[in-house]
Amino acid sequence: MRTTRLGGVAVSLAAALAIAACGSSSSSSSSASAGGGGGSTGTSASGGSAAVSGGTLNGAGSTLAQPIYQQWGSNLKSKGLTVNFNGVGSGAGIADLQTATVDFAGSDPALAAEDKKGMKGPVLQFPVAFGAITVSYNLPGVKSGLKLDGPTLAAIFSGKIKTWNDPAIKMLNSGVNLPSTAITVVHRSDSSGTTAGFTTYLSDVSPTWKSTIGTDKDVKWPVGTGAAKNSGVAAAVKQTQGAVGYVEQAYALENGFTYAAIKNGSAYVLPTIENTSAAANGIQVPADLGISTVDSSGSGAYPITSQTFLDVYKDPCKDGKESSSTAKALKSFLAYAFGAGQQTLGSGGDKLPYAPLPSDLAAKDNTQLATMTCNGSPIS
Amino acid sequence: MEASATTSGGRSALERSSASRLPDQALQFGLTALATLILLLIGYFFVRLIGQSGKAFSTFGASFIFGNDWDISRNIYHGAPLVIGTLVTSAIALLIGVPVAVATALYVTELCPRKARGPLSMLVDLLAAVPSVVYGLWGVFVLAPKLVPVEKWFANTFSFIPFIGGGGSTVTAPNYFIAGLILAIMILPIVSAIAREVLATVPSENKEAALALGATRWEMIRMSVLPYARPGITGGAMLGLGRAIGETIAVVLVIGNAPTIGHHLFNQGYTLAAVIANEFNEAANQPLHASALFAAGLVLFVLTLIVNIIARWFVRRGTRGMRAPEADADNTLSVYTPSTTAGRP
Amino acid sequence: MSTVSGALIPEISAGRKRRDRVMRGLLMAGTGLALVPLILIIYYLIYKGIGSWSGSFFTTDPNGNFFGNPGGIRSAILGTLEIVALASLISIPIGIAVALYLTEYGNDGVFANLVRYFVDVMTGVPSIVFGLFIYIVLVISHAGGSGFAGWKGALALSLLMLPIVIRSSEVVLLLVPSSLREAALALGAPRWRIIWKVVLPTARSGLVTGALLSVARGMGETAPLLFTVSVAFPVTFNLNGIMNSLPLQIYGDITSPRDVVVARAWGAALTLVALVLILNLIARAISRRSRLT
Repeated sequence: MRTTRLGGVAVSLAAALAIAACGSSSSSSSSASAGGGGGSTGTSASGGSAAVSGGTLNGAGSTLAQPIYQQWGSNLKSKGLTVNFNGVGSGAGIADLQTATVDFAGSDPALAAEDKKGMKGPVLQFPVAFGAITVSYNLPGVKSGLKLDGPTLAAIFSGKIKTWNDPAIKMLNSGVNLPSTAITVVHRSDSSGTTAGFTTYLSDVSPTWKSTIGTDKDVKWPVGTGAAKNSGVAAAVKQTQGAVGYVEQAYALENGFTYAAIKNGSAYVLPTIENTSAAANGIQVPADLGISTVDSSGSGAYPITSQTFLDVYKDPCKDGKESSSTAKALKSFLAYAFGAGQQTLGSGGDKLPYAPLPSDLAAKDNTQLATMTCNGSPIS
Repeated sequence: MEASATTSGGRSALERSSASRLPDQALQFGLTALATLILLLIGYFFVRLIGQSGKAFSTFGASFIFGNDWDISRNIYHGAPLVIGTLVTSAIALLIGVPVAVATALYVTELCPRKARGPLSMLVDLLAAVPSVVYGLWGVFVLAPKLVPVEKWFANTFSFIPFIGGGGSTVTAPNYFIAGLILAIMILPIVSAIAREVLATVPSENKEAALALGATRWEMIRMSVLPYARPGITGGAMLGLGRAIGETIAVVLVIGNAPTIGHHLFNQGYTLAAVIANEFNEAANQPLHASALFAAGLVLFVLTLIVNIIARWFVRRGTRGMRAPEADADNTLSVYTPSTTAGRP
Repeated sequence: MSTVSGALIPEISAGRKRRDRVMRGLLMAGTGLALVPLILIIYYLIYKGIGSWSGSFFTTDPNGNFFGNPGGIRSAILGTLEIVALASLISIPIGIAVALYLTEYGNDGVFANLVRYFVDVMTGVPSIVFGLFIYIVLVISHAGGSGFAGWKGALALSLLMLPIVIRSSEVVLLLVPSSLREAALALGAPRWRIIWKVVLPTARSGLVTGALLSVARGMGETAPLLFTVSVAFPVTFNLNGIMNSLPLQIYGDITSPRDVVVARAWGAALTLVALVLILNLIARAISRRSRLT
């Protein structure tokens, strides 16, 4: 065992040295798809899910969806498919797909026109799941369900409300004993779909926010501490008393955070899976599937709900320089994502706390999936 | 190439004309080519960096460095908050790190028992062996939580001092001071090692003369050792500064990553190196943003270059004409010591 | 001046004595202070890191599971060893060769001093800038067929290690007594044989020391790998693909809100520091056992 491993190292070292010695000629042979896990192609299905093609897939992007892709990667590993997902933020994921340094990108916002323009070719985007962006706080003595409405939330995140016992918060929460602790706003320091979702909501509910700060994956925060990734914000909230930050539901649940109920219409809605799913009901689905569930008006919908997309090249062989076997593996991974993978999402038990796709949307994903090609011919 | 030919010509007096000159010439040619290649690589490196950052400089001009507005969503990159954050944290590192490093070096070379010298130097040098990501880990989970209450107390108690006061409520969890303190720890072994080497070059006659005149140990240090070693120590401090300016990972984790200019010491900020680490991934395909980050890298490069040049000038001046210290091959930091102290025969 | 003339009197005034004591005390306190962070870091590394060390910690890979056991660090350790091994294969031979040029051919010539100077400059370049450089030159261009790749990270590390190897090797090569070289020359030996049979063997232990220290330095670097290697969980021996590494694993785990993952960061940090320290201690032992001087 040991000798074979060492041999493997020696061989790959030699290969890499040879490549290095050749200089930066970009036409060297690619062995990217062959390495990694078992390497066996077309492992037969087990556990009732569809057949999965073996290989290695690299993805990057959304940290909101990072737990999903990493869990799926863990599930698929035994079937010979290695899925690496680097949660670098939605913006970075799109950039990596544009430079074709990854096989797929995870992005929370739908691709903007300029995102598509930067791509090497036509790109398909598939809605994968929905996640609630919670307003989590670290305030000993105050339980989950602190009531906040849009304008108050905007005032907190723009630094106009500085302490937790501010009259504006008190007014919404009669009967709750609010301490005078200073508010420490924690926001993302990297380009993030979570930020895009959150600032889209704030812009929807606060004209001042819209005109002064605006909506983007990266905005210029007037106050607060920057932390990298959803997990970094969660860690900062956990470590700082009086902190408030926006983190995806999965991260909040995982840490037992206390989070706010946000006003939608006349009701205050908690970020539960049911309320997250409600946000996906009755949304408009454009032809490129670029949906948005932020500030959904559906009754009982949690208003700061973000969709998350999987982005791939329509022809990964031509535009992403993939081998046909990698393209096949990619397609089978996507099929898993809209099929068996959806069953790992939901509430309760060992399911990942995200809202799964409604069946009609999953069907649209699968229809679009069939249009993927490899050098112009369909991927079988 | 020509220069090397002449120098080897200078040696030719020693060489015998021999039939086996060919492999010699091949070897000399090969090694010279390799050295040339290193120079070309550095040159290419510099050219590429300038090329990539050109767009940012032509778009923003001087306000890339002096303007205070780093706003990705509006595609405006005025990097004063980053430059100031870099300078503030480095200054804190120097103010704390250098006195401690020099005290350590003085104690080890002049005061402590001979037997303790080796182990003490080694322990301080071990700080250089701790990877920066480990400093970051320690900073986030140990130092910051313990330090913030102290900072709050400090800000409350001394609220009248500008840049420090302002009350505990203005203290943020990650801040300039924590980053500076971590940097101080990180540069300590470098500055201390160079100070030790420089102090070792102080002629013992000078010290003995002072002691013979009845000076106390401290007076001997103050009057014979320090004046002699000052340029070298200054150079060492500058090399430490170069390290502090460029440190990335440890700083990213404790600086707060907010592209604003903090109003006092316990505010969060950003540094040039940290912004590259945080934003580069996402910027890869946004030409102006990527160019701004390359420009940040270039500014960083030029800053460290200037600091290093000054440092080496100081160290060289400080040790010129002195007995070269024993080459310290087992010193972790011998690479930081400039050529003149490196024991050339 | 007055103190010096005062010193001619053998009696030392109480004030001067007190001042001496205070200053000595301060220097000693400074030394103590310098050791505090080292002790604290080592203490916390062991205190928080040793708990996660277990058999499975070193034999399983990070698995990406959202619930339960997050897995160990096997792929991170192997990845670091692979990347650093390749970086060493590149930087150590080239570094020693350039050092040979400087000592055996370049001497004090203008060109040699220029090389020396720029190698010094290279030691001052922030490591993240090397990462940027490799990104522009090799990652975007998909050199070798893939974007991020282990060998690109290794190249970034070797850029960082190269000046360390050159400088430390030069110091050691200069210590080889010139009388040895001259004796061999007088016997009519060609220069390449002198280098191969006299200079290199005499300097061997010193060269190994320098090389090991550069390896130790490279092993702990995070920034050059950020934009060159990316992150993967499984073990891979394919250096032309993305792979895991200890520093990046720690960097990723630090920002996790999960306590078990943060615990893994401490365990991985303890592992990394142990590896680096062992390399350092070996280097010191070698250099102590046979010193040229």
